[in-house]
Amino acid sequence: MEDKKLTEKESLELISQMICNTRNRMEDNNGIPFIIWGYSTVVTALAVWYMVTTTQNYYWQWLWFAIPTLSYPAWFIFNADKKKKENPHVKTFVDRVIGHVWMVFGITGFLVSMMAILYRIPILFIILLTMGMATAITGLIIRFKPVIISGFLGMALSLLCVVVKGTDAILVFAAAFVLMMVIPGHILNNASKKR
Amino acid sequence: MFKELNPLLHSELRLGIISLLISVEEADFVYIRQQTGSTAGNLSIQIDKLNNAGYVEVTKSFKGKMPCTTCRITPAGIDAFEEYVDALKSYIIK
Repeated sequence: MEDKKLTEKESLELISQMICNTRNRMEDNNGIPFIIWGYSTVVTALAVWYMVTTTQNYYWQWLWFAIPTLSYPAWFIFNADKKKKENPHVKTFVDRVIGHVWMVFGITGFLVSMMAILYRIPILFIILLTMGMATAITGLIIRFKPVIISGFLGMALSLLCVVVKGTDAILVFAAAFVLMMVIPGHILNNASKKR
Repeated sequence: MFKELNPLLHSELRLGIISLLISVEEADFVYIRQQTGSTAGNLSIQIDKLNNAGYVEVTKSFKGKMPCTTCRITPAGIDAFEEYVDALKSYIIK
């Protein structure tokens, strides 16, 4: 492109071409946040289930806090590394909207987790339902079917956490996170690599 | 009656920059250069012109040790772009 005058038709073509170029953009490694949070949740859930069932000591439930302890540092390191390596850098409206969706659902998850310390609430059901909703919304925004389906699947499986009684509900929770975050995370990464 | 086209936007590269920035939150100099296929020198001059007109906000920072120029469109830039598109319509619907 140069600093030359355009005809009206050329102007319109240029505008639509530039807008199309950015609309079709898909980030590399955009499945990483799903993978980080997915694996840390699954590993922690299985650890909690194992410790609680073998020791019958419910203080092991405090192990749930390993999820943010493991995920937040990994996530911050990934973001800092991405910013450093990302050349060129562009941030779209979709990036901002998805960021805000996860911020709102993340705060919801944190508040509900705090409530669960004080009151007896169906925490696994609520967390799985809200995270399923956030995943489905993300999938709908980026128009990526595996993420949409896994989000709704997570929401559906959240009901099982109410039906299944006792510590076995934790196994349902872990399985749901494999389907809802780990698998779509890898599919997203592969899809962005293929582009 | 034809509306007058904003001369600042009625240039290939400047219109390309504004059209690109209208569809993103922000983009750095390298991304804009890749998308527009322009030379670094020319792009820098045109971004300066848009910045001086208040259409584009430029932030200079560092990515590691490398300087990084990030651009985002301002509300005045959005207004100017919308007026430009409106003016274009008057030529097409003749």
